[in-house]
Amino acid sequence: MIKEGAKDARLARFLVGGPPLLFLLIFFVAPSLIMILTSFRFPGEFGGLAPVTPEDTAAGEYGLTPEAYQFFFSDILYAEIFLKSFVIASTTTLICLIMAYPLAMLIARSKKRFRNLMVLLVVLPFASNFLIRIYAWMIILGPESGLSHFINAILGVFGIAPVTLLFSPFAVLVGMVYVHLPFMVLPLYTNLEKHDPSLLDAAQDLGANSWQRFWSVTWPLSLPGVFSGSALVFIPVLGMFAVPEILGGTGDILIGNLIKDQFLGTRDWPFGSVLSIMLTLAVLSVAGLATWFSRFAAGQRA
Amino acid sequence: MNGLRFRGSPGSLVFLLAWLALFSTGCARHDPHTIDGAENVLHLFNWNNYIAPETIARFETFCNCELSQDYYSDNEEMLAKLAAGAAGYDLIVPTGNAMDALIRQGALKPLDKSLLPNLENINPAYLDTAFDPGNKYSVPYAYTLTLLGFNEEKIRELGLPVDTWAIIFEPKYLEKIRGRVTVLDSQRELMAAALKYLGYSINDVDENHWKEAADLIVRAKPYWAAFSNTSYVKELAVGNLWVAHGYSNDMFQAALDAKKTGRKFMIGYSTPKEGAVLALDSMVLHRSGNRPHLAHQFINFMLDGKNSAELTNLIGSGNPNMAAMQYVRPEIAGNEAIFPDPELLTRLEMLRDLDRKQRRLLSRLWTEIKLR
Repeated sequence: MIKEGAKDARLARFLVGGPPLLFLLIFFVAPSLIMILTSFRFPGEFGGLAPVTPEDTAAGEYGLTPEAYQFFFSDILYAEIFLKSFVIASTTTLICLIMAYPLAMLIARSKKRFRNLMVLLVVLPFASNFLIRIYAWMIILGPESGLSHFINAILGVFGIAPVTLLFSPFAVLVGMVYVHLPFMVLPLYTNLEKHDPSLLDAAQDLGANSWQRFWSVTWPLSLPGVFSGSALVFIPVLGMFAVPEILGGTGDILIGNLIKDQFLGTRDWPFGSVLSIMLTLAVLSVAGLATWFSRFAAGQRA
Repeated sequence: MNGLRFRGSPGSLVFLLAWLALFSTGCARHDPHTIDGAENVLHLFNWNNYIAPETIARFETFCNCELSQDYYSDNEEMLAKLAAGAAGYDLIVPTGNAMDALIRQGALKPLDKSLLPNLENINPAYLDTAFDPGNKYSVPYAYTLTLLGFNEEKIRELGLPVDTWAIIFEPKYLEKIRGRVTVLDSQRELMAAALKYLGYSINDVDENHWKEAADLIVRAKPYWAAFSNTSYVKELAVGNLWVAHGYSNDMFQAALDAKKTGRKFMIGYSTPKEGAVLALDSMVLHRSGNRPHLAHQFINFMLDGKNSAELTNLIGSGNPNMAAMQYVRPEIAGNEAIFPDPELLTRLEMLRDLDRKQRRLLSRLWTEIKLR
């Protein structure tokens, strides 16, 4: 009996842990290994990789080379692009958080029958294609748009020269925030919804004002939601190339654009792989950091 | 990855997120691998909007077959898809440098010219190019020029020249049109314009000349609104842009749009006197195609003057087919930006492919240009 129970537990563990593990192996580990191998090869003349034959590559026996890594580290340029992408991703995450928090709280504290409708409204924009929604922002931010005229009219009153909204870092930020906002709202909402309202009542009874109630009760309890939402926004923004390409100006290049360029325009798969590996490492460290923080926060509460 | 988990959240929300992620990551594509070779279908890998619908209909009646198309929007995309293993295409319509890559790769089948009697319609000036001497593999289809499009009213008002690259590179002109100019988001095309303006060949690979061109670009960059490969067509047509560096068929489209929507201005376009890029697209047979006979039929069909002219009438592309000129609408046939005079023709060049070291170097230069 006991033995069988242990067997069942093992089976259960396998059934629970197996599929996610398999998923990770197939969709994360295997592609990463391919990428690492690619990054040590020579680029092919026509895209793809050079054949692994010495006479073609003038390299070692296996046509492997660290030259793509050398190229990456030979110029501060690429570090600058990473830094810039991180700044944009952090800013986007922060703005999303500031905008999403009140909304998530509003939804979580509405009457139950309205909540589903409100969540539906949050995700409704996804019903239309992502690119179409970004192109719509081109019209909204364009120099002849109502918004541009309105803003410039106000600036004109204060004697400030008119600004162009489209093709600017501002437009990139607007696009990024717009696209990723729901990814912040949803995890925040699922977290806030679970909070026990009697905690707030208790805090009030003990004399806490509304700010204290938020800061010492709601906010610490919502931290796991904040971290999930932040990771869901930060990571995709880091790799995004379409938004800067469409809404950005002459200086708005991010790491995603650079990687895309290596696989298309430059036909340099090894260097593109090096950039992707660096990005993956960066994303993993951010995810690791977020996990650690959320554990740390949980530990503090306990 | 604990930080990513929604603790205790309803399963439906996770499902919803997965669904969102699917929606936001783009589109699934039809895979040519799955094509059944037995069907009477010709598979064409073509540029977007690069054949007139009436031409397709007529060809399908003529051959009693079906023309199936997959599309690409630039050569690199096409090469990347082929490099990643896309197959089953009978015909591709690459530009010279991409065709060069395909030929050297051994990806193309030689043509059987006995099946192409209409080849005599092609203007010899477009035959026997450096990419395919003797046209062993390729038949010219259409061409575009990379030139300047502009808002005629604004340019007249500001008194700017439009027959020179100076208008997108010289600050003295640019300061009058600051934020109203876009240039192509293409390493090769923009460098080509800069090199031409400096008096070099567009295929110059001297590193110092490249640096000189990059400096010219960096100096002019603050005045440009953006790098744009597609949106300039619309932005020109609605009046947000006054000058754009772009392709002749796109300018044709912008001019048409501005006219159709009754704007108060006209869109003009002209080829700078320093010279420009000529992109000649040719029909070639891909190795993976399994209907070579049908493909030859198609090439010969497209070499017919009337069929060839329909594309020019539709998108304003340049036409290397002499028999087509009688069917081309006169306002297009008379447009010097589409059909350059012989003197200007000598200053047009076709882009050659770069080797991998040069590509990597140019990419770094380009990244620097973008970041500065």
